[in-house]
Parts: sequence; C-alpha cells; structure tokens
Amino acid sequence: MSFFARFAQNRGALIGLIILVTIILMAISAPLFYPESPWRMVQRPFLPPLEVDGFPLGTDTMGRNVAAGLMHGAWVSLLIGLVSTLVALMIGVPLGAVAGYYGGLIDDALMRFTEFFQTIPNFALAIVLVAIMQPSVTSIVVAIALVSWPPVARLVRAEFMSLRHREYVEAARLVGQSNRTIILRQILPNTLSPIIVLASLMVATAILLESSLSFLGLGDPNVMSWGYMIGAARTVIRQAWWLSFFPGLAILLTVLALNLVGEGLDDALNPKLSRERS
Amino acid sequence: MKKPLTIAIAAATLASTAALAEPRSGGVINTVLQPEPPGIIAGIHQNAPTQTVSGNIYESLLRYSTDLEPMPQLAHRWEVSDDGLVYTFHLNEGVTWHDGEPFTSADVVFSTDVYLREMNPRTRTILAHVDSIEAPDDHTVVFSLKNPFGPFLLSFEAGTMPMMPKHIYEGTDFRDNPANSHPIGTGPFKFERWDRGSVIQLVRNDDYYEEGLPYLDGINWHIIPDASSRAVAYENGRVDVLPANSVENFDIPRLSALDNTCRTEAGHEYFSPFAMLWMNNREGPTADKRFRQAVMYAMDREFARDVLWNGLGNVPLSAFGSNARFQDDSLPPYDHNPERARELLDEMGYDGEEVRLLPIPYGETWVRWAEAVQQNLREVGINVRTQSTDVGGWNQRLGDWDYDLAFTYLFQYGDPALGISRTYISSNIAKGSPWNNVQGYENERVDELFDLAATAYPDSQREIYYQEVQELLHEDVPVGWLLELGFPTIYRCDVQDLVTTGIGLNDGFKNAWLDR
Amino acid sequence: MLYARLIVMRLLKAVVVLFLIVIFNFFLIHMAPGDPAAVLAGEAGATDEQFLRQLREQFGLDQPIYVQLWRYVSGIAMLDFGYSYRQQMPVFDLIMARMPATLLLTGTAFVLSLALGILAGSLAAARAKKPSGSLIMALALLFYATPLFWVALMAVVLFSVYLDWLPAYGMYTVGAGYTGLALALDVGKHLILPATTLALFFMAIYTRMTRTSMLEASQQDYVKTARAKGLSPRIIQRRHILRNALLPIITLAGLQAGQMVGGAILTETVFAWPGIGRLMYEALMQRDYNLLLGIFFFSAALVIVFNILTDLVYRLADPRIKEAS
Repeated sequence: MSFFARFAQNRGALIGLIILVTIILMAISAPLFYPESPWRMVQRPFLPPLEVDGFPLGTDTMGRNVAAGLMHGAWVSLLIGLVSTLVALMIGVPLGAVAGYYGGLIDDALMRFTEFFQTIPNFALAIVLVAIMQPSVTSIVVAIALVSWPPVARLVRAEFMSLRHREYVEAARLVGQSNRTIILRQILPNTLSPIIVLASLMVATAILLESSLSFLGLGDPNVMSWGYMIGAARTVIRQAWWLSFFPGLAILLTVLALNLVGEGLDDALNPKLSRERS
Repeated sequence: MKKPLTIAIAAATLASTAALAEPRSGGVINTVLQPEPPGIIAGIHQNAPTQTVSGNIYESLLRYSTDLEPMPQLAHRWEVSDDGLVYTFHLNEGVTWHDGEPFTSADVVFSTDVYLREMNPRTRTILAHVDSIEAPDDHTVVFSLKNPFGPFLLSFEAGTMPMMPKHIYEGTDFRDNPANSHPIGTGPFKFERWDRGSVIQLVRNDDYYEEGLPYLDGINWHIIPDASSRAVAYENGRVDVLPANSVENFDIPRLSALDNTCRTEAGHEYFSPFAMLWMNNREGPTADKRFRQAVMYAMDREFARDVLWNGLGNVPLSAFGSNARFQDDSLPPYDHNPERARELLDEMGYDGEEVRLLPIPYGETWVRWAEAVQQNLREVGINVRTQSTDVGGWNQRLGDWDYDLAFTYLFQYGDPALGISRTYISSNIAKGSPWNNVQGYENERVDELFDLAATAYPDSQREIYYQEVQELLHEDVPVGWLLELGFPTIYRCDVQDLVTTGIGLNDGFKNAWLDR
Repeated sequence: MLYARLIVMRLLKAVVVLFLIVIFNFFLIHMAPGDPAAVLAGEAGATDEQFLRQLREQFGLDQPIYVQLWRYVSGIAMLDFGYSYRQQMPVFDLIMARMPATLLLTGTAFVLSLALGILAGSLAAARAKKPSGSLIMALALLFYATPLFWVALMAVVLFSVYLDWLPAYGMYTVGAGYTGLALALDVGKHLILPATTLALFFMAIYTRMTRTSMLEASQQDYVKTARAKGLSPRIIQRRHILRNALLPIITLAGLQAGQMVGGAILTETVFAWPGIGRLMYEALMQRDYNLLLGIFFFSAALVIVFNILTDLVYRLADPRIKEAS
C-alpha cells in the first residue's frame, strides 16, 4: 500500500488535511479578499456579525473588520508555528542524535541538560523570555523554540539508541565510514518518520503557545494574530462575544487539523503500530 | 461640554448639606483598588493607589474644592503676606494622631522640612522655593519663601504634603521603620488591616477633630486584579464604588446604565490628567519641528476620545490643560487634517524612515489607542512600527531616551509651575526618568518664561508670561498633546457626597454618607 | 532499603538541579529591561535621581551583579528567599500565602483529569470498535485542541454571564465574610469553572493515553494466557490490563506537572484566581526579582518532587521491576 493510500485510510486524517488546506488557502488568499490592512478602522465599532455587507463577522472595539483579521491572522499563526517548530528541531535533533549515538558521558551530560530545561515550567519560561527580549515575532519564535525542543531531543535520542546497534550501522563502521557520515546518512533518515509526526504535533503546540502569549498581551503589536484578537476581546466579552469566539474557533480547527494529520502521518509512516491502534 | 457638568455636580454636592436629605452616620463602603499599592505610607510611595488610601489616613494643612479653591483642614486659617513671601498657617487645636499623641506644629515642620524633602521628588522641587519653616508656637507654622511662588498655596494636598507623625519617624530610616506596617495619621479613618492580595480595611476615627465626621464606619478596598472581575463585583452588589480606571472604558456605558448607578467626572481637577505623545527631539525624523506638527495634524483625536474614552475628556487647545490655570484657548487648533500633514512631510523631505511607537502599558484602552494612532500616521505616509513593552521596559526606554514616539500620561497638578513646566524646561533634561523633559526640548526663551512666571506676583503678571510660553510651545510642538482625560467614577446613587474635592476619592470618604 | 537509597540519590540530584535553576533564572531575569526601582518610579508619576538612587540602595541593586548573585544564593542555602520590596513582605511568606490557592486549583484539576481521563479511556478501549468509543476519542481530541484561555472565556460567557449559574472570578465571594462550611462551599462553587477548564486539556491526554495503553496491554502475552485460563473479562480488564496500562500514565502524569503550572498561569489570569501563577506574572511585570526567583524555585521544586513521587509509585506498581529487585 502506498503512503497516500495508508494515510487516506484514516478518515480523521483526511478531514484534518482538508481543514488544514482550507486554512492555508485562507491565509494565502487573505490579500485577495481583504487587500487593506486588517488594522484599518473602517466601520462602526461593535458591529455584530452579518449586519453589514462585507463584514460577515462584524467589527471589533475599534471598528476593524473581524473577518479580515481572521484571514490575515491565519498567515501569522501558521508562519510562527512552522518557523518555531523548525528552530526547535534544529536544536533538538542534533542534541538527541549526538546523545543517542555516542552514549556514555556525552549522553549523560546532554540528558541532564535536557532534564534541566524540562524542569522549568515551559509556559512560565516562555513568558520570561518574551518579556526579556520584548515582544516581537522574532522573540516569540525564539521563546517557543527554546521551550519546545526537549521532547524532540528525547525522541531522537531514543531512536538513535535503538538504531545504532543495527547491522547496517555495524557494517558501515566496518567499512570505515566516519561517525558523522553514519549519523547523517545511515541513522537519521530512518528516524525521519517519528520526527515528522512529532513535528506536526509541535506545530499545533506552537500555535497554542503563540496564541496564549498574545492573549496575555505579549504578542507582536504589529501583527494581528488570532491570540491577539482573543486577548483584545477579553475585556468586552459581554458586549461582543463574537470577537473572542471566531478567532478561538479558528485556533481550535487548526490545532485539531494538525493533530489529525499527525495521526494520519503516524499511521502512514509506521504501519505496524496502526494495526494495534484499531 | 465637560466643564459645566463638573461644576454642576460639584455645586450640587457641595450644597448637599443644605439639600434634601440629612447625612446619616453608619455603614461601610466597599470599593476596589487597582493595582495593589506597594505600600500605603504617604510619602514613601507616590503611586496613585497609595494616595487613594493614604489620603484618607493622612491629611495636609488644606484641602481643595473641585474649583481648586483652598479649604481648611488641619489649618483652619491662613494668611499670605502682601509680597507673597510669607505664609502663616493656624492649626486646629485638639487634634490627635491615631495613636493618641497630640498633633502640633512640630509635626508640620518635621514633615515638610525633613521627611518630605527626603522622600518625595515632587515636593522636593516645591520646597526648594522655601527658605525656612518655623513654628512660633504649638499651633502656628510660618513658611518663609526665597521668592514668590504662585502655586505654593496649592501644594498643601494630602498626597503632596501629608503630615507625618514626628514622634514615630524622627531619626529613623523612614523606608525601613517598623511602624510602616501600621500607618498613623490624623485623618478621618484609621488603619485596621491589610490582607495582601485581598483587602485593605480602614475604620472610622472616633476621635476625629471635626464634629460628626466621618459618617461612614469604614472603607474596604478590595484587591481584584482583573478589570472584568471588578465590573462583575459591582454588578453583583459586592462593591459600591468603582474609582476611575478600575474598569475598562468599554464597560463604562453599560455599567452607568445599571439601576441605582450614578457617574461623575469630577474628582480629578487637582490632578488634571493629560495624555501626551513624547517625540524625540534629539534624533530621527521627530527631531524636525515639521514632522511633529505633521503628527499632530495626522492624529484623529476626536475619534480616540469618542471611541476609546466614551466621549469623556477634551481635545486640548494648548500645552496647558483646561483644568490648569492660565490656559490660552485662542490658539489655532491642530485639527485632524491629513492633507496638511502630508504637505509638511513633503516639505521636510521625509524619506520613509522607520519611526518606532511605544504604547503605555496601562491596559487595553492604551493599546487600542496606540493602534489607532499607528493607523492615523500610516495613512499620511509615516512608516510606523509599534513596540510592545511592560512598565519596566517602558520606563527603561524613556529613561534611556531609546524611543521615537511614546505614549504617556501625567498630572498637570492645576498650576503650570507644579506640573507643566517640568516637561519643557531644559534644566529638566536628565536620563533615568520618564517624567522630566524626556523629549530633549531646549528653548532658552521658554526656560526664561517658565522661570519668571513661577516666581512672578501677582497672577496677572504670571498670565502674561504663560501666554507667550503657550504660543511658543504651540509652534514648536515639543510633544504631541493627545487628550485631557476624563476619568469617570461610578457609584451607587445612595452613596451621597462622594466627590466633594479636587482629589475626589483620595480624601472624599470623609464627607460621604450612605442613604440606606 | 533500596528505595531509601534511591530517594536519597534523587534528592541529591534535585538539589543540584535546583541550584543550577536558581543561577540560570537569576541571570535570565536580570536581563529584562528595567528594574524594580524603575518600575516604581514609572508608577509614581514623578521621580528624580535621588528617588531612584534611594530605591536602588534599599533593594540592594547598586551592588555589582556577582555580589547580588552571591547574596541571593547564600540566602537560599539557608532557606532565606529574600524580601519583596514591592509587596513589603518576605518572599517565602508571600509564596506560602498564595500557594494553597494554586495547589487547590491544580490539585483538583489533576485529580479530575486523571480520574475522568482514565475512566473515559478505559471505556473507549472497551468499546474500541463501536461508535461510542469513537465518539469519546473524538471529544478527547476536541478538548486537546482547544486553547485553554478560549474555553475559559467561553465558559465564563455561558455559565456566568448568560446562565448565571457559577461565579466568574475569584476564589470566594468578596465582602461576604463566610467562614467554616459556608466558606468551603463558596470556594467550591468558585472552583468549578477554573478547575474544569484547566482539567479539560489534560483529561484529553489521559483519555487517549489510557486507551492506547490498554489496547496495547490487552495484546500482551500474559493477557492471552489469562484469557486462555478462562478468567472473566472484567477481572482481566481490572487486574491485568488496567494495572499495567496505568504505568505509562503514571510516568506521563509526572511529566504533566510542569505543564499544569503553566496552564495555571492562564487559568488564574482569566478567572482572577489568587494563586502563584498570577503572582509570577505580576512579579515579572514589576521586575520583583526576589519574588520571581522564589516562585521559579518553588515550582521547579514542586515539579521535581512530583517526578520523584511518580517514579516511586511506578516502581511500586510495576511487577517487572519488583521482581527484578
């Protein structure tokens, strides 16, 4: 069975994929539907949804178009989620690989380091990091990456530890390949599957983290993200519940979609386990 | 507009003793305090919430009406010499501190000459004009000034010049004094307890020197950290009074419309809150006067007032607010004129250089305001990038002059010499403070005028100088003048006489009574 | 005896970790722009150099950073967590005053999420092929994906604003002066919304974990043996599958402790719950160094202790380890 066939077998994953593609399309087509900046104050404030043409989701406290904010926000959330996950991978994968491959003292030291990071409650650390660097897209990405890499390192380490004694690795050593080549060419490609699955879940978590930070007011004030919209709407929740509702729904759907896709990837890439899951 | 309403309310409340109902004793008022102050000893901390509480425990020699007219408090009578150099205060007799010790002129001398000089930056500046403070007898104090200082009589306010017990503080380390855990003042209410994170409780001072006062049995300030929660507390009847800035502006129309709910904008006349936009006069596009004028034309201040401040407050007509004395209201206004803004930018050859905007981290309204201003500026072609920060970061940046445009709001304290000149005189340029001449404006004539006007005598002479200064400032636009803020206090209508002074709730609970 | 040595080793390691955390956080926090004196000056509306200098001297900030670090670390070694000049109280007292609120919230959420999660997960595992099983898993996924602060806000809108069933904020009714049983009931009523919203996310995790774990366990050899022996399915479920399935859950629960502290920050913010999560955020904004460091220390200590406990429980529960030792 091909990869796609296996993936498609999981109906949830398919739904997730459809939702995800929709959201990506939304992000890309935002300038088409709403070419003006979502920050422009264009109508009466506190307009409920569906009351005025062109404002299907109403307006916020300043008279800004909620639908425009939602679509432009998709881009922000996805971008931040993706980039911070990539950075976390860039930290965690090398660390885990080295720890798992070499073992011994190096492993010990790196594992203590990883544990150390995991002992600090990661949301609290993210808040402190953003406060230090002062909120901006860069600082948020860095903060999220710095608190998200430990699970990557652990996973990669576990994989490397189980794979380093395989025959093909022994064979490569006998042939005289350097450690670096073995790590990069022999073992790493075989760990890609679990890393990809983990990455998809991490993007979801990163999006949740970013929206939580923006909600608390620690987001970049120049970009309208979904978390920011919910945070701004918090104080007017009695007058305008829709300002919090729609962005939250968007976050929910995106995270849900990513999780479903992640499960589908897991099924497709690791067929043995999927039998037990059913 | 705003002023007639204020006067009407003030007149009504001041006349209430002769009006419909007779004040009744009894009852406790529940209100909120936000944020929780670092301390409530007057003078040690100058924060607004500190003054809200300490103003009911401590008193100064005078109080001020909503028209900023001096009224007796610890001093029942006072005289100013003809040359404006000698101020004599006659103190009430039979006044005791909350611990029973008698209040005398020695306490006044100690508080002003020693304690406040040491502790309060603003009072320090005022007392710099004083040559000597003497107490010829137990109930008389004489201030001899080095030069006439018009606003001197306006400085005897509970937060600026509180009277502190000499027998507790003399010779001690004021900040570390163990008595700081239990404030002792002369005021109508005594400290009862402070459960951190929960409530500050004051109870009636039964030995208060004014007969029959206070009417209330006590005041409870509840610490509720969340604005929405404070609104709910009011709706649920747990809290009777919502001081200014305790709920988000967006909630005010809804809360004001509830049953048995009254609202007043009075009670801040002494402070005259004024929102401004610092513009870095030293470097960047903001160093050019035309850019600053363009910013003034670009901003839609009416929109901000109507959408963000519920239509309360005024668009300022000059650098002086309307509550400050000597305002010149005849200068040509900087109305919302994006065309004119673009002209000015073209004239100076603005090349699209990025300009940073720093909001003030005091809550949602201010964040929205920064967004509105950012949009206003973008629309005339200014490349603006908003920075986000918290109070610590905001302080640091302003103190280090690391900003281009920055929001702020400060108090003008009713007299230009008390709260306005500090923003514009070049001697007040110093790193480390967000409250001095942060923008780096230097104009010799302006310095000269403020100097002359502070010590000129009588008022008519001061007016001449202040007129000229306002014209100069209006042309130079060293800072952007955003709004004179209107701070509403929301309260249950059966709380009578709540706001009767120029500092409102800060010392108003003395006269308040419950019509229940 | 073996356990005692184990515990001691772990505790020693914990002390080292805590020490490193203190130093790391110390430098981290001092990197934030502004200091407590600047914050106080910023709120004062007026300031001058003398005022700032006085404050900095009082807070000990005029000393070079290494001196400050040494002072702080040597204080910690004697269990002296310093003084919060902002709140005018020793840090230890402040934290102890607010800790019970957070423990109540996170403790309740933890128990709730664990109990309901395991229950839902076992149900889902038992009805693995049926629609009811899929429904439970779908709900679990939904709760997992929902942003915590959003569901908290929506809960406030629904249960507090529209239905007026539950209070929206705080830990007790302000100004009511309840004591004893009335107070307990009042707090309980206030606890429902925050604890439930905090529990939802973790409930979802435990549900999914339990189901996977139980399905895996049911495939194991010893279960096949038990079935072959003719034992009733219920006994198999309870004694064999559940017990062994719980092991990874216990480990997971240990790891969740840190996340729950983070979740508490958001929950406490939305519901104005007077715990240390909210205190941490305020301390950060006020640059209250000692308080912030103290809170980090205590939450890290909590997480470590919790991990040690779950590790112990795991060892006690896992028959394989028992036999090995």
